[in-house]
Amino acid sequence: MHALAYDSVHDEIIVNSPLAQAILIFRGGANGEEPPVRVIQGPRTQIQGTDYDGNDQMAYDEVHGEIYIPVDRNKILTFSREANGDVPPLRVLTGPNTGIRGSTRGHARVGVDPVHNLLIVTSPAAPGSGDGASMLIFDRTANGNVKPKSIINGPKTEVGGGSAAHAATDKGFIVAGCGAASICAWGINDKGNVPPRWKIPVQQITGVAPSGIALDPAHKEVIVTSGNRNRVMTFSWPEVF
Amino acid sequence: MKRMEALRQAMLERSLMRGRFDRRAMFGVAVTIVAFSISSSNTRAPDIATGYSGRLISIQSMQTDFGDMCYAERIDPFERNAALPAGNLFNAFDDTAHAAAQSTGNGVEIARPPVRTIRDTYPIYSSIAVDTQFNEIALQDTNLFGIKVFNRLENTPAGVEASKPVRVIEGRETDLEYNNGLYIDPQNGDIYSVASDTADNLIVFPRSASGNVAPSRQLKTPHRNFATAVDEEKGEVFITIQYPPKVVVYRKQAAGTEQPLRVLEGPRTGLSDAHGMAIDVQKKLMFVSNWGNSSDYQVAGSGQFHLPSITVYPLDAKGDTPPLRTIQGPKTQLDWAAAMAIDPDGGYVFMANDLGDSIIGFKETDDGDVAPSRIIKGDKTGLKNPTGVAVDGKNKELWVSSLGNSSASAFPLSANGDVAPVRTIRSAPAARTSVKFGKPQAVAYDSKREEYLVPN
Repeated sequence: MHALAYDSVHDEIIVNSPLAQAILIFRGGANGEEPPVRVIQGPRTQIQGTDYDGNDQMAYDEVHGEIYIPVDRNKILTFSREANGDVPPLRVLTGPNTGIRGSTRGHARVGVDPVHNLLIVTSPAAPGSGDGASMLIFDRTANGNVKPKSIINGPKTEVGGGSAAHAATDKGFIVAGCGAASICAWGINDKGNVPPRWKIPVQQITGVAPSGIALDPAHKEVIVTSGNRNRVMTFSWPEVF
Repeated sequence: MKRMEALRQAMLERSLMRGRFDRRAMFGVAVTIVAFSISSSNTRAPDIATGYSGRLISIQSMQTDFGDMCYAERIDPFERNAALPAGNLFNAFDDTAHAAAQSTGNGVEIARPPVRTIRDTYPIYSSIAVDTQFNEIALQDTNLFGIKVFNRLENTPAGVEASKPVRVIEGRETDLEYNNGLYIDPQNGDIYSVASDTADNLIVFPRSASGNVAPSRQLKTPHRNFATAVDEEKGEVFITIQYPPKVVVYRKQAAGTEQPLRVLEGPRTGLSDAHGMAIDVQKKLMFVSNWGNSSDYQVAGSGQFHLPSITVYPLDAKGDTPPLRTIQGPKTQLDWAAAMAIDPDGGYVFMANDLGDSIIGFKETDDGDVAPSRIIKGDKTGLKNPTGVAVDGKNKELWVSSLGNSSASAFPLSANGDVAPVRTIRSAPAARTSVKFGKPQAVAYDSKREEYLVPN
């Protein structure tokens, strides 16, 4: 499992069920063998994993109460947090104009910036293109086969990496995994072949590579897991908050 | 220091949530979430309004390591080795597959270390195997990434931090990652192990292997393998694949990219998120435990949650063969059942019942919604999230490894109820609960409770 989210507004935990094509929502204080309060699952949901990664990515917008799920390698589904059962998504972002591609192992990565109303998708390079990965920035409510508002792409950008994208809303930074086992921050208005504004070279500093990322704006910290080293690290990063 | 102590207490005494949301409520998810409370303190970074300009802040790293075991040949398995193949865990993720080239721009690089690190420095045991010929126990460590071998009669005395293994296979060259499914060849002591989520292989070490050594043999397997069993009469090794669920059967000596002799797979098999497995070569039966998470990855919205089950097949089953019997229902107490082991003489199949903190035993002939005939559970047992189980038929003992407290315990093969083990091998101080990290790929921050939510 590669994603989960906490909704501080409604005090809930949102979790992917990777192999059962479902999204589970639990009480924030859930403990032990407690059932979810809601389950999004069924043919109308369009939730679809891959053989390798399953249904394992997700982003959550607690301001607008929406869950974003990349599926089938190149689709982004949006559900209401109140959705329950076999319900269709509110929106489906997919198509050649979007530029969204999955990786060789699974889905694109997704993040959301509810303050600036942006949806951020990290999309790997087209096979054989040599272009490198792209960060695609859409309107938060983008639907259908629409083009991104802007694209961060090029050799200077270092876009890519194994971590889910997130948004640091206060100052308009996008924080995500990037090249050389680092975490980087780009500005939401960045576009083209621009370097990240900030970079923490996690592997270089700690000897371990980052996996997941979560933000703690109140304490101006970024929490980073290392899936291949079995640890959780916390970095102070006041510059991005 | 005050903050470190607070976090240490939080990790030791509270906030360990290992949630399972399955079975009775009919909802399942293959994940556990550990919550860590983070206390606030005055050591946080200064709030600097830097805008888009960089500034280096000096902050002391406050590691939360609990200490380390002292092995004669302690190896740092985390050291990067450029010579390792790209698929190796110790290189995997370090360089991302689709990252662009190194920046040549003018972004600001921040070199400050983490202010806190949560890490367990004791072993976390996922699997166990018994070598009755050489009187040894092998334990798979999925935290320090190795195999530790102990004398079968080892019994860690009270007051001793941990027993010392007689051999440790650990390090960059071993290809041991988040492995599982230990098996020991009863003839020559070869140790078999499968990589459950990362390297997609079966690796074999000779009994004498020690230190940072490469396996003597590797076999490429499908992704998400979990358990192994070997039919010594026919020379075949069985491996469960969690998803898409299947059982693959290879020649015992298979290596490289050799293809399986047969595959049990398909909607009629009843396999769903397959995990543990055991075979009875006398009765020609194969038992598989299923967690119940089900979907066809090629069909959107096809996901379903089923009750966990044990499905029973003919030993030579292949293709889309339905089970002979299915043990399934609320009476079974199946609760994230991991490893399985057979006592062919007694006619029992034992399950390491992870979240039940128990070992449950069924008769090999059981069918349907039946209660286990044997339940080893309770305070006296010392079991904490047991995921490994092995039968020692020669010495009439049942061995159990506990993921939750870095230990392995031997019980009489006839044990039942809240009974104390006859021996326990500890690799961590008594009564210590493991952090229980298992490849934490994600994290969320619960701002209300100031807790980290870590799925595993």
